[in-house]
Amino acid sequence: MAAGGGGGAGGSSSSKTYSFKVVLLGEGCVGKTSLVLRYCENKFNDKHITTLQASFLTKKLNIGGKRVNLAIWDTAGQERFHALGPIYYRDSNGAILVYDITDEDSFQKVKNWVKELRKMLGNEICLCIVGNKVDLEKERHVSVQEAEAYAESVGAKHYHTSAKQNKGIEELFLDLCKRMIETAQVDERAKGNGPSQSGGARRGVQIVDDEPQAQSAGGCCSG
Amino acid sequence: MKEAKAPSPSLTRQYSIETDRVSKDFIEFLKTYHKAGHDVYKQCKVFLETIHHKKESNIDELSEFTQDFYQNTADKLQMYWKVPPNKVEEAMDQIEKFIMTRLYKHVFCPETTDDEKKDLTVQKRIRALHWVTPQMLCVPVNEDIPEVSDMVVKAITDIIEMDSKRIPRDKLACITGCSKQIFNAIRITKNEPASADDFLPTLIYIVLKANPPRLQSNIQYITRFCNPSRLMTGEDGYYFTNLCCAIAFIEKLDAQSLNLSEEEFSRYMSGQASPKKQDTDIWDADTCPGVKQMHRNLDLLSQLSERQERIVTGAKKLEKDLIDWTEEVTREVQDIVEKYPLHIKANSQALASIDSENVEDDRLPPPLQPQVYAG
Repeated sequence: MAAGGGGGAGGSSSSKTYSFKVVLLGEGCVGKTSLVLRYCENKFNDKHITTLQASFLTKKLNIGGKRVNLAIWDTAGQERFHALGPIYYRDSNGAILVYDITDEDSFQKVKNWVKELRKMLGNEICLCIVGNKVDLEKERHVSVQEAEAYAESVGAKHYHTSAKQNKGIEELFLDLCKRMIETAQVDERAKGNGPSQSGGARRGVQIVDDEPQAQSAGGCCSG
Repeated sequence: MKEAKAPSPSLTRQYSIETDRVSKDFIEFLKTYHKAGHDVYKQCKVFLETIHHKKESNIDELSEFTQDFYQNTADKLQMYWKVPPNKVEEAMDQIEKFIMTRLYKHVFCPETTDDEKKDLTVQKRIRALHWVTPQMLCVPVNEDIPEVSDMVVKAITDIIEMDSKRIPRDKLACITGCSKQIFNAIRITKNEPASADDFLPTLIYIVLKANPPRLQSNIQYITRFCNPSRLMTGEDGYYFTNLCCAIAFIEKLDAQSLNLSEEEFSRYMSGQASPKKQDTDIWDADTCPGVKQMHRNLDLLSQLSERQERIVTGAKKLEKDLIDWTEEVTREVQDIVEKYPLHIKANSQALASIDSENVEDDRLPPPLQPQVYAG
């Protein structure tokens, strides 16, 4: 699918289904994994977590009659893998940048990611900056004002979450989906109409319906 | 388009039998789509015909053409024939299978590209990195647990098997299978679901251990000819992307990415030193017996050469000692000789041996003369 298109399959416009790819970015210990596990499984550090992995998770939503298939791509947060970022976030509709409110460094890392994403993907991508671990408010090292002002300055939205207490997570994803739908709609209108055009980059291929030799036996390339 | 790289006749026959079977299955499958199915079959035939005439085109054009075909076919099924989305997906899988079974030998690792060269580069690179340990990559998998070690072996087998498949989707399935084994191994080791922080290093480790054949060719082939809806957003797409990341990491890997000093890194790269020697136990669990034996032999050899050196040093010392000893004895003897010079006294003659000439015979009584007695 073309970047930002996301307008997946769907017969008529009323039952249209959007497919969105969202990447999760952030340093190792900021709680990325807990965040998605809480959202998709509603579990936190639970011994009964049945899911095998938390690297790729999906969620189906229905927002105002619009069906959304959300694919959440976790990315390796270690510094040594930083250079691989572009391979991960290529063609994504949204990015969730997570930092730990008790860790100034992790916020700095988020700033680096924002710079990179804006440079590589422009404004096509919806950015969410997420201060996780608000249950540790007493140990906060990143000020609310600073974080929110920064998010606004780069055209991102800021959220506060706690995977432990299940705070703010539902809102975060819902909001993000709404914004991605808007972006996709703007995109659609710009390109023409409907998901049939969402292929965008693909040029139309001439399909000749009634060519007689189409029926000739055997494939041309059969081995 | 170039000829197939002369596979054995039996292999060719097997391929064509498979191709025929795929065609038959495809026709059967399309019957369930009625008119739409008939149309799809026609489109596929036209597509294959056209590709056949495009023989001389470069691979990117062929890829573009194929992607357009996927897109248009899917759109037509959905918009014109009003086929429900899940049925469209199913049909697209079958279409991919049908056309790619036929196109495979012409568009996999084509001679017009440098795919093969890239394959060899990656293969050599991975060979040169044989010394990388799980510890250096921080792999969260404990191969001492037999179950985990089994899964590591299965993951390696899966990723190697990718090369033997002809359809992009089947190749993707091998990558997914490999990834699932990795997740299981992590799950057992850490007892929690694997995050990307765990998964990627382990995948890198598996790729390094497997050194899968024609890695770049397979990646390129999937990128060019896989049905895009599967590749971009689905679960398979995620694992595929991680594999691409693993390869990119391996290609660019340096001292810093393994937390080693430049000096250590270049020593390992040049083969002057091997970190495995100290870590033999960690590698033992699943290293192939030959390699294990080789390591043991290398160890033995180095021990032997050490001992030999000790012997040579010992022998040299012994030689020196002997020379010194002779000299010392000589010196001592001379000292003693000087201190106590040898004076031969005359009276010692008295002790002359009985066998010597008797100088003073005359002083002896005359010998007894025989006397005659009467009687």
